[in-house]
Amino acid sequence: MIELDHLTKVFAESSAPAVSDLTLTIARGEICVFVGPSGCGKTTTLKMINRLIEPTAGTIRIDGRAADAVPVHELRRSIGYVIQQIGLFPHRTVRQNIGTVPSLLDWDRTRIDQRVEELAALVALDPAVLDRYPAALSGGQRQRVGVARALAADPPVLLMDEPFGAVDPIVRARLQDELLTLQQRLHKTIALVTHDIDEAIKLGDRVAILSDGGILEQYDTPMRILQHPANAFVAGFLGTDRGIKRLSLIPVSTIDLAPGPVVPRSASHAEVVAVALEYGTDWVVVDDGAATEGWAQVGAVPPEGAVGAAAIPFATRLTTDATLKEALDAIVSSHPPVAPVFDGQRLIGVVTAEAIGRAARS
Amino acid sequence: MTHLAQASSGFFSWEWVASNLDDIWDRTLEHLVLTAIAVCVGMVVSLLLSLVALRYRRTYAPISWIAGVLYTIPSLALFAFFVPITGLSILTAEIGLVSYTLLILVRNIVAGIDGVPPATVESALGMGYTRRGLFFAVELPLALPVIVAGLRIAAVTTIGLVTVTALIGQGGLGFFILRGLNLFYSPIGTTQIVVGTVLSIAIAIAVDVSLVGLERLAMPWARRRAAA
Repeated sequence: MIELDHLTKVFAESSAPAVSDLTLTIARGEICVFVGPSGCGKTTTLKMINRLIEPTAGTIRIDGRAADAVPVHELRRSIGYVIQQIGLFPHRTVRQNIGTVPSLLDWDRTRIDQRVEELAALVALDPAVLDRYPAALSGGQRQRVGVARALAADPPVLLMDEPFGAVDPIVRARLQDELLTLQQRLHKTIALVTHDIDEAIKLGDRVAILSDGGILEQYDTPMRILQHPANAFVAGFLGTDRGIKRLSLIPVSTIDLAPGPVVPRSASHAEVVAVALEYGTDWVVVDDGAATEGWAQVGAVPPEGAVGAAAIPFATRLTTDATLKEALDAIVSSHPPVAPVFDGQRLIGVVTAEAIGRAARS
Repeated sequence: MTHLAQASSGFFSWEWVASNLDDIWDRTLEHLVLTAIAVCVGMVVSLLLSLVALRYRRTYAPISWIAGVLYTIPSLALFAFFVPITGLSILTAEIGLVSYTLLILVRNIVAGIDGVPPATVESALGMGYTRRGLFFAVELPLALPVIVAGLRIAAVTTIGLVTVTALIGQGGLGFFILRGLNLFYSPIGTTQIVVGTVLSIAIAIAVDVSLVGLERLAMPWARRRAAA
């Protein structure tokens, strides 16, 4: 647990505070994302937690203990720290980099080696790179090393400053997913800084939205912030697509999935027309009993043959852990205008725009 | 050999070289010792000055200015100035030689430490390095390429300067050059000038090459990065 209590920082070279009277509590095992425009004091706040910046006023308690009650280097060894530029030591191998804090804590060699290999596995880092120097790694690998290094001494608290800011969007999305998976196992108390509201919504158990001068505008779960932005600043920062952002927080499994106009592949033209009419569509889902083959346009079914000949595979297939935002994307970018949700080879149901609308309003 | 000696008998005498091998060896060693002392003491003094300059940024300009002024003093004048105080001694020679190393070494040490990426320093501090640990375990190793570059220049410069200290009774190989100058129009004179000069150059090259080798040994990470 991290408690910030009336935290204020005024830098010597400026008169306006960088952080103003900030009070909030990050519960144990939660990810709190600090988000806001540049200059809103989010990084300053983070750096006050491990005392890279000393507050002008206010106190910080970590698991009940005041941050300034222990020597600063001891405090920092108990807090994992990941920054955007990662800051790996170029003169040390990946193994030595990951083992930094354990060796500062005087662990013995075998224990460090064992821990390093454990961490490499945890962050899905190829053990072959352990004895290379950081210069030989890709951006994604460096980021993994950075996270492994921060976790090395198993600190209860992790500070992450724009941890995925320097990698490309595809790698970023994967690393974000991995962080969430990791967190399900580790239950660290994490304070993470980003300027990307989508990243904040995706990663945060709670999101702290700061405005210029380090003023806390709202601190709540992403869902409640999206539903009830506290003021115009928050609403503006969330953007005009607040409703769609919310969809990214709702899994498709919350919707009662209707199977839709399903016909067997042997169905005749007349049977297809009947099913399509019943559902008010001009297409049907073709199913051969064991697997879902795809869909067929009613007009494309041969008058004298079976529907199977006209079946086309679905362009997108969602799984049950997809979000409504992904479902909406599938709806607007494919024909027929539905999002098919699959469990393996079998269609569980299709999500329609109406169903998404109902879920979003509820 | 005989053929060569005859062909160049007007300028160079192999006989002199052959009969003075012991002396040449001793002077070469002396040259190396004078250089080693100057560079080592210069390095220690420069490290201390750099620590002060890095810790108290305002002192960097004056420190660098004083080192710069020392560097501009003609070497003859500097040695002459100290003779009445410290005599025709090795101390006089070293005071001068050390002074000339300071500018290059201090500037390179400070530039090397300043060149360490801020993100590396921040993450080191964030993980709980003390200031001293940061300096020795992170900043100094990362500054090493720049520091060694300065060390090479300082060493090569010093090896050349050592010859000048012959004027105050030291000099290593400079001893031969000075004595040769006094016997200038004789083959024995030119021989000594050539021997002193050539060996001094050879030492400079050898020291420079060994420092490069040492640098590569000490910095496997930099070598691989350069190769990448």
